[in-house]
Amino acid sequence: MTKNNKKSMTPTILAWLVAVAVVLVVATIVLVRHDENAGGTGQTNASIVGGNQTIEITAKNGYSPRDTMAKANLPMTLKIETSGNYDCSSSLSIPKLGYRANLPPSGETVVDVPPQKAGSTLTGLCSMGMYSFTIQFQ
Amino acid sequence: MTAAGIQTYTFHVNGMHCKACVLLIERELTEHPKVISAKASLPTRSVDIRGRFGAKLPEEIAEKLSAFLSEHSLSTTAQERQVHWDELGVAVPIAISCAALFVLLQELGIGDLVSGNTTTYGTAFVVGVVASLSTCAAVVGGLVLSISATFARSGNRTKPQALFHIGRVASFFILGGAIGLLGSAFRLQSMATFILSFTVALLMLAIGINLLDVFPWARRLQPSMPRFVSKKALGTVGLSSTVAPALVGGATFFLPCGFTQAMQFYAVSTGSAVTGALTMLFFALGTLPVLALLSFTSLAVNTKENQGVFFKSVGMLVILFAVFNAINSLAALGVIDPVFNL
Repeated sequence: MTKNNKKSMTPTILAWLVAVAVVLVVATIVLVRHDENAGGTGQTNASIVGGNQTIEITAKNGYSPRDTMAKANLPMTLKIETSGNYDCSSSLSIPKLGYRANLPPSGETVVDVPPQKAGSTLTGLCSMGMYSFTIQFQ
Repeated sequence: MTAAGIQTYTFHVNGMHCKACVLLIERELTEHPKVISAKASLPTRSVDIRGRFGAKLPEEIAEKLSAFLSEHSLSTTAQERQVHWDELGVAVPIAISCAALFVLLQELGIGDLVSGNTTTYGTAFVVGVVASLSTCAAVVGGLVLSISATFARSGNRTKPQALFHIGRVASFFILGGAIGLLGSAFRLQSMATFILSFTVALLMLAIGINLLDVFPWARRLQPSMPRFVSKKALGTVGLSSTVAPALVGGATFFLPCGFTQAMQFYAVSTGSAVTGALTMLFFALGTLPVLALLSFTSLAVNTKENQGVFFKSVGMLVILFAVFNAINSLAALGVIDPVFNL
Protein backbone atom coordinates (compact mmCIF):
# COMPACT_ATOMS: atom_id res chain seq x y z
CA MET A 1 0.00 0.00 0.00
CA THR A 2 2.76 2.40 -0.84
CA LYS A 3 1.58 5.67 -2.16
CA ASN A 4 3.15 7.17 -5.20
CA ASN A 5 5.42 9.98 -4.14
CA LYS A 6 5.37 11.56 -7.54
CA LYS A 7 1.92 12.92 -6.79
CA SER A 8 1.74 16.49 -7.93
CA MET A 9 2.15 19.30 -5.45
CA THR A 10 -0.59 21.36 -7.12
CA PRO A 11 -3.34 20.84 -4.50
CA THR A 12 -0.98 21.82 -1.68
CA ILE A 13 0.18 24.98 -3.40
CA LEU A 14 -3.35 25.87 -4.41
CA ALA A 15 -4.69 25.33 -0.89
CA TRP A 16 -1.94 27.49 0.63
CA LEU A 17 -2.56 30.25 -1.91
CA VAL A 18 -6.26 30.26 -1.07
CA ALA A 19 -5.50 30.23 2.68
CA VAL A 20 -3.08 33.15 2.42
CA ALA A 21 -5.57 35.12 0.32
CA VAL A 22 -8.44 34.46 2.73
CA VAL A 23 -6.35 35.37 5.78
CA LEU A 24 -5.14 38.58 4.14
CA VAL A 25 -8.67 39.65 3.18
CA VAL A 26 -10.06 38.85 6.63
CA ALA A 27 -7.17 40.58 8.41
CA THR A 28 -7.66 43.69 6.27
CA ILE A 29 -11.37 43.83 6.98
CA VAL A 30 -10.84 43.29 10.72
CA LEU A 31 -8.11 45.93 10.96
CA VAL A 32 -10.07 48.51 8.96
CA ARG A 33 -13.15 48.02 11.08
CA HIS A 34 -11.19 48.22 14.34
CA ASP A 35 -9.59 51.43 13.14
CA GLU A 36 -13.02 52.91 12.54
CA ASN A 37 -14.14 51.87 15.99
CA ALA A 38 -11.09 53.36 17.63
CA GLY A 39 -11.55 56.66 15.84
CA GLY A 40 -12.43 59.62 18.03
CA THR A 41 -10.59 59.99 21.30
CA GLY A 42 -13.40 61.94 22.94
CA GLN A 43 -14.96 59.55 25.39
CA THR A 44 -18.70 59.93 25.46
CA ASN A 45 -19.82 57.02 27.55
CA ALA A 46 -18.60 58.37 30.89
CA SER A 47 -20.14 61.13 32.98
CA ILE A 48 -19.61 62.36 36.52
CA VAL A 49 -22.48 63.76 38.54
CA GLY A 50 -21.75 64.72 42.14
CA GLY A 51 -19.47 62.14 43.71
CA ASN A 52 -20.57 59.39 41.38
CA GLN A 53 -19.51 58.46 37.88
CA THR A 54 -21.59 56.66 35.34
CA ILE A 55 -20.23 54.49 32.58
CA GLU A 56 -22.47 53.25 29.81
CA ILE A 57 -21.73 50.16 27.83
CA THR A 58 -23.82 48.62 25.08
CA ALA A 59 -24.02 44.85 24.89
CA LYS A 60 -24.91 43.49 21.50
CA ASN A 61 -22.80 41.09 19.55
CA GLY A 62 -19.96 42.05 21.87
CA TYR A 63 -19.45 45.07 24.11
CA SER A 64 -19.06 48.64 23.01
CA PRO A 65 -16.93 50.57 23.71
CA ARG A 66 -14.36 47.93 24.37
CA ASP A 67 -12.06 50.13 26.43
CA THR A 68 -13.16 52.88 28.75
CA MET A 69 -11.21 55.21 31.05
CA ALA A 70 -12.68 55.96 34.47
CA LYS A 71 -11.71 57.93 37.54
CA ALA A 72 -10.12 56.02 40.37
CA ASN A 73 -11.37 56.16 43.96
CA LEU A 74 -14.85 57.17 42.89
CA PRO A 75 -17.96 55.01 43.18
CA MET A 76 -19.22 54.02 39.79
CA THR A 77 -22.52 53.09 38.25
CA LEU A 78 -22.09 50.77 35.33
CA LYS A 79 -25.06 50.86 32.99
CA ILE A 80 -25.28 48.07 30.47
CA GLU A 81 -27.79 48.54 27.72
CA THR A 82 -29.26 45.76 25.68
CA SER A 83 -31.59 45.86 22.73
CA GLY A 84 -32.62 42.62 21.07
CA ASN A 85 -29.60 40.85 22.47
CA TYR A 86 -29.63 37.06 22.34
CA ASP A 87 -25.93 36.44 21.98
CA CYS A 88 -23.27 35.61 24.51
CA SER A 89 -22.75 39.21 25.57
CA SER A 90 -26.13 39.00 27.31
CA SER A 91 -24.58 36.54 29.72
CA LEU A 92 -22.25 38.91 31.55
CA SER A 93 -19.69 38.19 34.20
CA ILE A 94 -17.26 40.54 35.90
CA PRO A 95 -14.93 38.14 37.69
CA LYS A 96 -13.25 40.79 39.87
CA LEU A 97 -16.60 41.80 41.36
CA GLY A 98 -17.93 38.26 41.47
CA TYR A 99 -20.74 39.59 39.31
CA ARG A 100 -22.68 37.31 37.04
CA ALA A 101 -26.00 38.02 35.40
CA ASN A 102 -28.18 37.28 32.45
CA LEU A 103 -29.04 40.62 30.94
CA PRO A 104 -32.61 40.97 29.68
CA PRO A 105 -32.89 40.83 25.85
CA SER A 106 -33.81 44.50 25.90
CA GLY A 107 -33.38 46.96 28.73
CA GLU A 108 -30.84 48.48 31.06
CA THR A 109 -28.92 46.69 33.78
CA VAL A 110 -27.20 48.65 36.52
CA VAL A 111 -24.13 47.39 38.32
CA ASP A 112 -22.79 49.33 41.30
CA VAL A 113 -19.03 49.28 41.34
CA PRO A 114 -17.18 50.31 44.51
CA PRO A 115 -14.28 52.79 44.18
CA GLN A 116 -11.27 51.23 42.46
CA LYS A 117 -7.57 51.96 42.90
CA ALA A 118 -5.73 53.99 40.30
CA GLY A 119 -4.04 51.79 37.73
CA SER A 120 -6.43 48.92 38.20
CA THR A 121 -8.53 47.44 35.44
CA LEU A 122 -11.99 45.96 35.54
CA THR A 123 -12.77 43.35 32.91
CA GLY A 124 -16.23 42.21 31.93
CA LEU A 125 -16.73 39.15 29.78
CA CYS A 126 -19.48 37.06 28.37
CA SER A 127 -19.79 33.67 30.01
CA MET A 128 -17.92 31.96 27.21
CA GLY A 129 -15.15 34.51 27.28
CA MET A 130 -14.92 35.57 23.65
CA TYR A 131 -16.42 39.03 24.17
CA SER A 132 -14.96 41.41 26.70
CA PHE A 133 -14.67 45.03 27.73
CA THR A 134 -12.24 46.78 30.06
CA ILE A 135 -12.53 49.82 32.28
CA GLN A 136 -9.24 51.36 33.33
CA PHE A 137 -9.06 53.49 36.43
CA GLN A 138 -6.78 56.51 36.59
CA MET B 1 2.02 -25.57 21.40
CA THR B 2 0.92 -27.02 24.64
CA ALA B 3 0.00 -30.57 25.42
CA ALA B 4 -3.70 -29.87 25.27
CA GLY B 5 -3.33 -28.62 21.72
CA ILE B 6 -4.17 -25.08 22.67
CA GLN B 7 -2.06 -22.56 20.84
CA THR B 8 -1.59 -18.88 21.40
CA TYR B 9 -0.93 -16.47 18.57
CA THR B 10 -0.54 -12.76 18.44
CA PHE B 11 -1.78 -11.10 15.28
CA HIS B 12 -1.72 -7.55 14.14
CA VAL B 13 -5.10 -6.02 13.52
CA ASN B 14 -5.44 -3.73 10.56
CA GLY B 15 -8.00 -0.98 10.74
CA MET B 16 -8.57 -0.99 14.50
CA HIS B 17 -9.25 2.60 15.47
CA CYS B 18 -11.40 2.70 18.54
CA LYS B 19 -12.42 0.88 21.66
CA ALA B 20 -15.60 -0.24 19.96
CA CYS B 21 -13.42 -2.04 17.42
CA VAL B 22 -11.68 -3.88 20.27
CA LEU B 23 -14.98 -5.20 21.54
CA LEU B 24 -16.17 -6.09 18.07
CA ILE B 25 -13.02 -8.04 17.25
CA GLU B 26 -13.05 -9.95 20.52
CA ARG B 27 -16.71 -10.78 20.17
CA GLU B 28 -16.42 -11.89 16.56
CA LEU B 29 -13.29 -13.95 17.13
CA THR B 30 -14.69 -15.83 20.10
CA GLU B 31 -17.63 -16.86 17.92
CA HIS B 32 -15.23 -18.77 15.71
CA PRO B 33 -15.43 -22.48 16.58
CA LYS B 34 -11.67 -22.93 16.86
CA VAL B 35 -11.03 -19.88 19.02
CA ILE B 36 -11.14 -20.27 22.78
CA SER B 37 -10.41 -16.72 23.77
CA ALA B 38 -9.33 -13.46 22.19
CA LYS B 39 -7.86 -10.39 23.80
CA ALA B 40 -7.37 -7.31 21.65
CA SER B 41 -5.27 -4.30 22.50
CA LEU B 42 -5.78 -0.90 20.98
CA PRO B 43 -2.39 0.73 21.72
CA THR B 44 -0.47 -2.09 20.03
CA ARG B 45 -3.20 -2.82 17.47
CA SER B 46 -2.87 -6.49 18.11
CA VAL B 47 -4.91 -9.40 19.34
CA ASP B 48 -3.87 -12.42 21.38
CA ILE B 49 -5.78 -15.49 20.33
CA ARG B 50 -5.93 -18.83 22.12
CA GLY B 51 -7.40 -21.73 20.23
CA ARG B 52 -7.04 -25.16 18.69
CA PHE B 53 -5.83 -24.56 15.19
CA GLY B 54 -4.02 -27.86 14.57
CA ALA B 55 -0.93 -27.81 12.40
CA LYS B 56 -1.70 -24.67 10.43
CA LEU B 57 0.81 -21.93 9.72
CA PRO B 58 0.20 -18.61 11.46
CA GLU B 59 -0.29 -16.96 8.07
CA GLU B 60 -3.03 -19.42 7.20
CA ILE B 61 -4.75 -18.86 10.53
CA ALA B 62 -4.61 -15.12 10.10
CA GLU B 63 -6.13 -15.44 6.67
CA LYS B 64 -8.90 -17.76 7.87
CA LEU B 65 -9.78 -15.54 10.79
CA SER B 66 -9.65 -12.38 8.66
CA ALA B 67 -12.32 -13.82 6.41
CA PHE B 68 -14.41 -14.38 9.51
CA LEU B 69 -14.18 -10.75 10.68
CA SER B 70 -16.60 -8.20 9.34
CA GLU B 71 -14.55 -5.02 9.37
CA HIS B 72 -10.95 -5.84 10.14
CA SER B 73 -8.19 -8.06 8.95
CA LEU B 74 -5.40 -9.86 10.73
CA SER B 75 -1.83 -10.28 9.66
CA THR B 76 1.29 -11.85 11.08
CA THR B 77 3.39 -8.76 10.57
CA ALA B 78 2.57 -5.22 11.50
CA GLN B 79 1.20 -3.32 8.57
CA GLU B 80 3.50 -0.48 7.87
CA ARG B 81 1.97 2.53 9.47
CA GLN B 82 1.74 5.26 6.95
CA VAL B 83 1.67 8.82 8.04
CA HIS B 84 0.35 10.91 5.22
CA TRP B 85 2.20 14.12 5.88
CA ASP B 86 1.42 15.24 2.35
CA GLU B 87 -2.26 15.37 3.29
CA LEU B 88 -1.41 17.80 6.06
CA GLY B 89 0.00 20.12 3.42
CA VAL B 90 -3.51 20.54 2.06
CA ALA B 91 -5.39 20.14 5.32
CA VAL B 92 -3.56 22.88 7.23
CA PRO B 93 -4.39 25.68 4.76
CA ILE B 94 -7.98 24.44 4.51
CA ALA B 95 -8.33 24.63 8.29
CA ILE B 96 -6.71 28.08 8.37
CA SER B 97 -9.13 29.31 5.68
CA CYS B 98 -12.13 27.97 7.58
CA ALA B 99 -10.93 29.60 10.81
CA ALA B 100 -10.40 32.93 9.02
CA LEU B 101 -13.88 32.77 7.48
CA PHE B 102 -15.26 32.07 10.94
CA VAL B 103 -13.55 35.21 12.28
CA LEU B 104 -14.93 37.18 9.32
CA LEU B 105 -18.45 35.96 10.03
CA GLN B 106 -18.19 37.25 13.59
CA GLU B 107 -16.58 40.49 12.50
CA LEU B 108 -19.33 41.27 10.01
CA GLY B 109 -21.75 41.03 12.89
CA ILE B 110 -23.84 37.98 12.24
CA GLY B 111 -25.46 38.71 15.60
CA ASP B 112 -26.89 41.95 14.24
CA LEU B 113 -29.26 39.90 12.13
CA VAL B 114 -31.38 39.36 15.20
CA SER B 115 -33.51 42.32 16.07
CA GLY B 116 -36.78 43.07 17.68
CA ASN B 117 -37.59 43.51 21.31
CA THR B 118 -40.12 40.76 21.67
CA THR B 119 -39.18 37.12 21.66
CA THR B 120 -41.36 34.99 19.44
CA TYR B 121 -40.88 31.43 18.24
CA GLY B 122 -39.73 32.98 15.00
CA THR B 123 -37.08 34.94 16.89
CA ALA B 124 -35.99 31.78 18.66
CA PHE B 125 -35.60 30.05 15.30
CA VAL B 126 -33.57 32.91 13.81
CA VAL B 127 -31.41 33.11 16.94
CA GLY B 128 -30.81 29.39 16.48
CA VAL B 129 -29.66 29.90 12.91
CA VAL B 130 -27.40 32.78 13.94
CA ALA B 131 -26.07 30.81 16.89
CA SER B 132 -25.05 27.92 14.68
CA LEU B 133 -23.03 30.31 12.51
CA SER B 134 -21.47 32.25 15.32
CA THR B 135 -19.25 31.76 18.34
CA CYS B 136 -21.41 28.85 19.42
CA ALA B 137 -20.19 27.06 16.35
CA ALA B 138 -16.80 26.94 18.03
CA VAL B 139 -18.29 24.88 20.84
CA VAL B 140 -21.29 22.94 19.62
CA GLY B 141 -20.31 22.90 15.96
CA GLY B 142 -16.79 21.84 16.83
CA LEU B 143 -18.17 19.03 18.92
CA VAL B 144 -20.57 17.95 16.17
CA LEU B 145 -17.75 17.98 13.67
CA SER B 146 -15.44 15.93 15.85
CA ILE B 147 -18.09 13.38 16.77
CA SER B 148 -19.38 12.91 13.26
CA ALA B 149 -15.90 12.63 11.81
CA THR B 150 -15.00 10.06 14.46
CA PHE B 151 -18.05 7.98 13.65
CA ALA B 152 -17.52 8.35 9.93
CA ARG B 153 -13.95 7.15 10.27
CA SER B 154 -14.91 4.09 12.24
CA GLY B 155 -17.22 3.19 9.39
CA ASN B 156 -20.34 4.14 11.26
CA ARG B 157 -22.36 6.36 9.03
CA THR B 158 -25.78 7.91 9.01
CA LYS B 159 -27.38 6.47 12.14
CA PRO B 160 -25.21 7.93 14.92
CA GLN B 161 -25.35 11.37 13.31
CA ALA B 162 -29.12 11.31 13.00
CA LEU B 163 -29.45 10.10 16.59
CA PHE B 164 -27.21 12.89 17.80
CA HIS B 165 -29.47 15.51 16.25
CA ILE B 166 -32.67 13.80 17.35
CA GLY B 167 -31.32 13.59 20.90
CA ARG B 168 -30.37 17.25 20.75
CA VAL B 169 -33.72 18.53 19.51
CA ALA B 170 -35.67 16.29 21.89
CA SER B 171 -33.66 17.36 24.93
CA PHE B 172 -34.08 21.05 24.08
CA PHE B 173 -37.84 20.51 23.91
CA ILE B 174 -38.06 18.51 27.14
CA LEU B 175 -35.54 20.47 29.18
CA GLY B 176 -36.88 23.76 27.81
CA GLY B 177 -40.27 22.77 29.20
CA ALA B 178 -38.70 21.75 32.48
CA ILE B 179 -36.91 25.04 33.08
CA GLY B 180 -39.97 26.98 31.92
CA LEU B 181 -42.03 25.09 34.46
CA LEU B 182 -39.55 25.40 37.29
CA GLY B 183 -39.04 29.03 36.43
CA SER B 184 -36.25 29.02 38.94
CA ALA B 185 -32.91 30.60 38.40
CA PHE B 186 -31.57 27.72 36.42
CA ARG B 187 -28.01 28.71 35.81
CA LEU B 188 -24.69 27.05 36.07
CA GLN B 189 -22.26 28.76 38.39
CA SER B 190 -19.11 30.15 36.86
CA MET B 191 -16.98 27.30 38.21
CA ALA B 192 -19.36 24.70 36.79
CA THR B 193 -19.42 26.52 33.46
CA PHE B 194 -15.66 26.59 33.45
CA ILE B 195 -15.26 22.90 34.27
CA LEU B 196 -17.81 22.00 31.60
CA SER B 197 -16.34 24.12 28.84
CA PHE B 198 -12.76 23.26 29.71
CA THR B 199 -13.54 19.54 29.72
CA VAL B 200 -15.25 19.84 26.36
CA ALA B 201 -12.23 21.75 25.05
CA LEU B 202 -9.89 18.98 26.22
CA LEU B 203 -12.12 16.31 24.68
CA MET B 204 -12.15 18.20 21.41
CA LEU B 205 -8.39 18.54 21.55
CA ALA B 206 -8.02 14.78 21.98
CA ILE B 207 -10.46 14.04 19.17
CA GLY B 208 -8.80 16.60 16.93
CA ILE B 209 -5.32 15.17 17.42
CA ASN B 210 -6.74 11.74 16.70
CA LEU B 211 -8.39 12.88 13.50
CA LEU B 212 -5.04 14.16 12.27
CA ASP B 213 -3.95 10.52 12.36
CA VAL B 214 -0.26 11.35 12.47
CA PHE B 215 0.53 10.60 16.11
CA PRO B 216 0.18 6.94 17.09
CA TRP B 217 0.17 7.80 20.82
CA ALA B 218 -2.98 9.86 20.38
CA ARG B 219 -5.09 6.73 20.05
CA ARG B 220 -4.95 6.30 23.80
CA LEU B 221 -6.58 9.71 24.20
CA GLN B 222 -9.59 8.88 22.06
CA PRO B 223 -12.60 9.50 24.26
CA SER B 224 -15.17 6.77 24.22
CA MET B 225 -17.70 5.08 26.40
CA PRO B 226 -15.94 3.32 29.25
CA ARG B 227 -15.37 -0.25 28.17
CA PHE B 228 -17.20 -1.85 31.06
CA VAL B 229 -20.28 0.26 30.40
CA SER B 230 -20.57 -0.67 26.77
CA LYS B 231 -19.77 -4.30 27.46
CA LYS B 232 -22.16 -4.67 30.35
CA ALA B 233 -25.13 -2.80 28.98
CA LEU B 234 -25.50 -4.58 25.69
CA GLY B 235 -22.62 -6.94 25.37
CA THR B 236 -22.18 -5.56 21.91
CA VAL B 237 -20.87 -2.44 20.30
CA GLY B 238 -24.41 -1.37 19.52
CA LEU B 239 -24.60 0.92 22.50
CA SER B 240 -21.75 3.14 21.51
CA SER B 241 -23.39 3.87 18.20
CA THR B 242 -26.97 4.33 19.33
CA VAL B 243 -27.44 5.50 22.90
CA ALA B 244 -24.21 7.44 23.17
CA PRO B 245 -24.76 9.83 20.24
CA ALA B 246 -28.30 10.55 21.41
CA LEU B 247 -27.07 11.21 24.95
CA VAL B 248 -24.28 13.47 23.76
CA GLY B 249 -26.76 15.32 21.55
CA GLY B 250 -29.07 15.75 24.51
CA ALA B 251 -26.25 16.94 26.74
CA THR B 252 -25.48 19.83 24.39
CA PHE B 253 -28.32 21.61 26.18
CA PHE B 254 -25.82 22.27 28.96
CA LEU B 255 -22.94 23.30 26.76
CA PRO B 256 -21.86 26.83 27.51
CA CYS B 257 -23.00 28.68 24.43
CA GLY B 258 -24.07 32.27 24.88
CA PHE B 259 -27.06 32.03 22.58
CA THR B 260 -28.32 28.90 24.26
CA GLN B 261 -27.97 30.56 27.65
CA ALA B 262 -29.86 33.64 26.48
CA MET B 263 -32.68 31.43 25.19
CA GLN B 264 -32.71 29.37 28.38
CA PHE B 265 -32.87 32.54 30.39
CA TYR B 266 -35.86 33.62 28.35
CA ALA B 267 -37.48 30.19 28.75
CA VAL B 268 -37.06 30.45 32.51
CA SER B 269 -38.55 33.93 32.53
CA THR B 270 -41.69 32.76 30.75
CA GLY B 271 -42.59 30.57 33.71
CA SER B 272 -44.52 28.29 31.37
CA ALA B 273 -43.67 24.73 30.44
CA VAL B 274 -45.29 24.98 27.01
CA THR B 275 -43.68 28.30 26.03
CA GLY B 276 -40.32 27.21 27.42
CA ALA B 277 -40.42 23.90 25.58
CA LEU B 278 -41.50 25.46 22.29
CA THR B 279 -38.97 28.30 22.51
CA MET B 280 -36.10 25.90 23.07
CA LEU B 281 -37.49 23.57 20.38
CA PHE B 282 -37.55 26.33 17.77
CA PHE B 283 -34.09 27.45 18.83
CA ALA B 284 -32.78 23.90 18.41
CA LEU B 285 -34.53 23.58 15.04
CA GLY B 286 -32.88 26.83 13.99
CA THR B 287 -29.44 25.40 14.78
CA LEU B 288 -30.24 22.17 12.96
CA PRO B 289 -29.55 23.07 9.30
CA VAL B 290 -25.97 24.20 9.84
CA LEU B 291 -25.14 21.52 12.41
CA ALA B 292 -26.66 18.81 10.21
CA LEU B 293 -24.70 20.13 7.27
CA LEU B 294 -21.53 19.93 9.37
CA SER B 295 -22.14 16.39 10.47
CA PHE B 296 -23.22 15.06 7.10
CA THR B 297 -20.25 16.58 5.33
CA SER B 298 -18.27 13.76 6.90
CA LEU B 299 -20.52 11.31 5.11
CA ALA B 300 -20.26 12.97 1.73
CA VAL B 301 -16.54 12.43 1.59
CA ASN B 302 -16.23 8.97 0.13
CA THR B 303 -12.94 8.35 -1.58
CA LYS B 304 -10.03 7.21 0.57
CA GLU B 305 -7.79 9.97 -0.67
CA ASN B 306 -10.25 12.77 0.04
CA GLN B 307 -11.03 11.27 3.42
CA GLY B 308 -7.45 11.61 4.57
CA VAL B 309 -7.39 15.30 3.71
CA PHE B 310 -10.89 15.83 5.07
CA PHE B 311 -10.24 14.23 8.46
CA LYS B 312 -6.98 16.09 8.83
CA SER B 313 -8.68 19.40 7.98
CA VAL B 314 -11.45 18.69 10.46
CA GLY B 315 -8.86 17.61 13.03
CA MET B 316 -6.93 20.87 12.62
CA LEU B 317 -10.11 22.92 12.83
CA VAL B 318 -11.32 21.05 15.92
CA ILE B 319 -7.91 21.61 17.55
CA LEU B 320 -8.09 25.34 16.76
CA PHE B 321 -11.61 25.54 18.20
CA ALA B 322 -10.52 23.56 21.26
CA VAL B 323 -7.65 25.96 21.97
CA PHE B 324 -9.96 28.92 21.33
CA ASN B 325 -12.54 27.53 23.77
CA ALA B 326 -9.98 26.60 26.41
CA ILE B 327 -8.43 30.09 26.39
CA ASN B 328 -11.88 31.70 26.46
CA SER B 329 -13.05 29.61 29.37
CA LEU B 330 -9.93 30.53 31.35
CA ALA B 331 -10.57 34.19 30.56
CA ALA B 332 -14.22 33.89 31.58
CA LEU B 333 -13.12 32.53 34.93
CA GLY B 334 -10.85 35.55 35.37
CA VAL B 335 -7.67 33.48 35.50
CA ILE B 336 -6.12 35.11 32.45
CA ASP B 337 -6.81 38.32 30.58
CA PRO B 338 -9.09 37.95 27.59
CA VAL B 339 -7.07 36.98 24.54
CA PHE B 340 -9.78 37.12 21.90
CA ASN B 341 -12.32 39.85 21.57
CA LEU B 342 -14.40 39.16 18.52
